[in-house]
Amino acid sequence: MKHLPKHLRPKWRYLAVGIETWPDGEVERGPFQRELWYAAQNLVGDAGSADADLTLLDFEFEDGYGETIVRVRHGHTDEARAAIACIDEVDGHPVGVVVRGMSGTIRACEEKYLGRRGEFSAQRTVAFENQERTAVVRNGTYDVRTDGSFSGATELDFE
Amino acid sequence: MYEAVHAHPDGDSTVARLARTAGEYGYDGVVVRNRSDARPDYDADRIDDEYGVDVVDGLEIRADGPEQASGYVGNYRRDVTVLLLEGGTPELNRFAVEQPRVDVLARPMAGDGDFNHVLAKAARENGVRVEFDFSPVLGLTGGPRVQALSDMRKLREVVDQYDAPYVVSANPYSHLQLRAPRELIAVGELVGFSREWMADGLREWLRLAERNRERQSESFIEPGVKRGTYEKEP
Repeated sequence: MKHLPKHLRPKWRYLAVGIETWPDGEVERGPFQRELWYAAQNLVGDAGSADADLTLLDFEFEDGYGETIVRVRHGHTDEARAAIACIDEVDGHPVGVVVRGMSGTIRACEEKYLGRRGEFSAQRTVAFENQERTAVVRNGTYDVRTDGSFSGATELDFE
Repeated sequence: MYEAVHAHPDGDSTVARLARTAGEYGYDGVVVRNRSDARPDYDADRIDDEYGVDVVDGLEIRADGPEQASGYVGNYRRDVTVLLLEGGTPELNRFAVEQPRVDVLARPMAGDGDFNHVLAKAARENGVRVEFDFSPVLGLTGGPRVQALSDMRKLREVVDQYDAPYVVSANPYSHLQLRAPRELIAVGELVGFSREWMADGLREWLRLAERNRERQSESFIEPGVKRGTYEKEP
């Protein structure tokens, strides 16, 4: 179909979203998108979800850390923020999410707020609560493997 | 703005990790609200130097009833800067708001807990902050969340009517459960709180910490009485 004239096209805002899990967490685009839609639907209903028209654009996730861009209709960014905040699990993996910033273009959004992945992660052995444990280390954060789960720590805990 | 967190071993992440993430999310500080049998080990000055996040020493009392709670209040009041008491039963809610030595009544609507005008007036008189816990809004769905939201609405109406002091928290148990202030405010706005009201609830933790730190300082004698600067050693 022919494109809409410019003044009738919807205006968008782009939210840069950071995603974090424990090192064994695996978050994929599809399930994350589904959680986002569920969150929006549960919070603002069908009508509100249609208004906000949330869509995932870029999605990158590796080693417990990811980034994505959420497109939202101009004027509905608060609903989008709230829906994003209500994502607490994806495929049973607990996730931390944060809106790093908001822009009017995808490019500005990427340049200003994304690409902060930092150095690759490494395994290290640490003493945590008087026991030897392995930890996944990245940028000064330590995710320590304890019996069957993880504990979050930083370099300050091992000084 | 401040957030009140459960750190390892009460929660899953250490104080340093929570503070680091909180700093990245735009908080100025965190209040550690661990239970008395799971107190964390940390160096607040070091964390402040490294991440620029103020760590406030707090404690959340979990008691079976008012008598036990009263004992804990006596034991811990002098040690900690912010003293919280977990509500959730009519007896404990009542005890907390009538006890000026308690700073925050945590999760008053959890479990069998309820709140009314009598408690709100007592909370205002005694300066006990009533907590609005957003963790059910963030973490639950369906019926339980509807219940939590309707409890929260009732609490808000009573607290607003009697101008009782309050705090807002997402009650996180790990750095993954932390949410940035703007996101919390956005959630609050959707469920009927105003932007300013939410921000005020997040700032209240700091006001509380500042007041209590002043009281803990050596120059403080009692409310309104302070050691002056003119006394010099001969």
